[in-house]
Amino acid sequence: MHPHGQVRKGSVAMGIRSAAQRLHDIFSSVLYPGIFFLVFLMYGISGVAAEGRILKVGVYENAPKIFVSESGGAAGVFVDVIEYIAESEGWRLEFVPGTWTEGLDRLAAGEIDLMPDVAYTPERARIYSFHKQPVLSSWFQVYARQGSGIRSILDLDGKRISVLDRSVQQEAFTRLADGIGIKYVLMTLPDYKEAFEVVAKGQADAAITNRFYGLTHAGKLGLEDTAVIFHPTNLYFAAPLRAPRGILDAIDRRLEDMKNDSRSVYYHSLKRWLSEEVRFKLPSWVKMIGLVAAVTLSLTLLGLFVLEKRVKARTRELMQLNLEMEERIVARTAELAVEKDKAQAADRIKSAFLATMSHELRTPLNSIIGFTGILLQGLAGPLNEEQRKQMTMVQGSARHLLALINDVLDISKIEAGQLTLSVASFPLRPSIEKTVHLVAPLAEKKGLNLQLDIAPDVETAKTDQRRFEQVLLNLLNNAVKFTEKGHIRIDCRRKDGLYLINVSDTGIGIKPEQMSTLFKPFHQIDTGLTRKYEGTGLGLSICRKIVEMMGGDITVESRWGEGSTFTVRFPGERRNTP
Amino acid sequence: MSDTLLVIEDNEQNFYLMRFLLEKNGFTVMGAQNGRDGIRMALDHRPGGILLDIQLPEMDGYEVAAKLKTMKELEDVPIIAVTSYAMVGDRERILAAGATGYIEKPINPDTFVGEIRKYLEKGVGG
Repeated sequence: MHPHGQVRKGSVAMGIRSAAQRLHDIFSSVLYPGIFFLVFLMYGISGVAAEGRILKVGVYENAPKIFVSESGGAAGVFVDVIEYIAESEGWRLEFVPGTWTEGLDRLAAGEIDLMPDVAYTPERARIYSFHKQPVLSSWFQVYARQGSGIRSILDLDGKRISVLDRSVQQEAFTRLADGIGIKYVLMTLPDYKEAFEVVAKGQADAAITNRFYGLTHAGKLGLEDTAVIFHPTNLYFAAPLRAPRGILDAIDRRLEDMKNDSRSVYYHSLKRWLSEEVRFKLPSWVKMIGLVAAVTLSLTLLGLFVLEKRVKARTRELMQLNLEMEERIVARTAELAVEKDKAQAADRIKSAFLATMSHELRTPLNSIIGFTGILLQGLAGPLNEEQRKQMTMVQGSARHLLALINDVLDISKIEAGQLTLSVASFPLRPSIEKTVHLVAPLAEKKGLNLQLDIAPDVETAKTDQRRFEQVLLNLLNNAVKFTEKGHIRIDCRRKDGLYLINVSDTGIGIKPEQMSTLFKPFHQIDTGLTRKYEGTGLGLSICRKIVEMMGGDITVESRWGEGSTFTVRFPGERRNTP
Repeated sequence: MSDTLLVIEDNEQNFYLMRFLLEKNGFTVMGAQNGRDGIRMALDHRPGGILLDIQLPEMDGYEVAAKLKTMKELEDVPIIAVTSYAMVGDRERILAAGATGYIEKPINPDTFVGEIRKYLEKGVGG
């Protein structure tokens, strides 16, 4: 154990301490930095020659987690933790000061071995490796003047909020607040200090910082933490991607031991940096006067000190318990957040893949369908009868392929939760008429009688017109496809605030045993036959999903050999359901 | 209005297809295979309209449209996006970037030229 660790351990030991110890405390608050600096130098010199692993650790300004102390040495929770681990593992540490971004660059380049206080994100995990047991968990917290009455995120509606310019906090808060739909005025400031000061001066109503900064600085400015916390993150030491796994495993092992022992360096460090130091942080001249005053007053005030110590010890115990609870709660929340991040990343990859697929398949199809059309139009010269027949077949197949691609994309989008409706009001009658006209030529060719009956009270509908027409067209195409003689009847009316649209045919109908799979993907009912009826087998499952998103439903009644009736029901004015 | 159209499209077959249809209908067509060449040709020749693919090498169609819109000498030249992107929001995105119209690929050779004419007549104001 090096001298620095011993001194500090003594200073934070719990229990009743004598006045002499208090004096010792005051002395050591002056002495630590000096001792620390010596140790720091010793490491720097001896580390090269000594046996065992030398680890270079980045240091930057982010008190109280990691920072350069007034004496020039590294300090903070992360320093305490890694020093203890290094000592237990027989490593030598070398601290490399710089900015946050310099540290990350050095880590990526392998110039340092560990970078403290790095939040895990899937993006970073591609560049760095992380151990598993978080050193700290943090979250973002909203601070306001005392008695502000801000209790939940909804209370921030209409408020002026100060935030660090271009920070993760700004991004996370904007996303959260916009998601909830509250209005706010964002004041962006270059550092946390100013973000707090504008709130203290009343120029802003609330400030957002990470909880460690808030814990250390809010009280001094008369600010208090509100119950509004969000965006939990786990903080780790990050190592270069190809770092020996042994280092990270050792960190995990030691951290776990430390966290399980309430008297470990870990909890001492938390207390030292997150509570005690804050309270007693005084300018050095005050310390000097305090030293003199303490000598004269210590005897007379001995009794008082003892009492105060007891109270403090209790307070500290409670604070420690509180901290442990917080740690546990936030660690769990953070685990869930990490899982959610992973799932979202997978979703993004899927969406990107879909967009690419859509493009890559349509590009060659564009030229196939385009040139076939040109040849059939005779624009490139006359075709003989056989050529025309064959080109028509190419055109039919290409269109079928396009329909398949569109359906597969629709299904994939639905499953990825990517299908969204663009809801607007539109007149329903012309929309239905237009769609029915699309199948009229085919119905006529098959000699089917197409009947359309729209009730007079059918006016505007408020939903996604394109998707509605897609559903209707699908039902109409099915009706024409599966009907050899007779009629197809479409009627539309209003009932109880719902629009009802029936599409009835006198076609082959559906067997009772086929009903259950009718709306499932890839279940065209005639697969057992010679596939007389072409189709993707996806249409009805897409229809059902779309209608459900419209807040409605789709049902079917049918008799085998007599015909089918599909009924679509959806609200005339779409209710505000998600 | 000039009967010359600039088609910015990197796929050879798709360019040939559009050029064929447009030339058969009396337009003069020039082509660029990437955004940079497209912008240069637009400035040199001041076409009556620009047909723009979205998926282009180096600079994508959104960027090309936005750049074209910043050029004063091209402010009255309509941009028509012809694209195989069909995901939610692609249409809104290219219109927001300054395109007058949007035609989805695969194009329908029976209606393609008519749609182009419609957008050209509508002009930039939209």
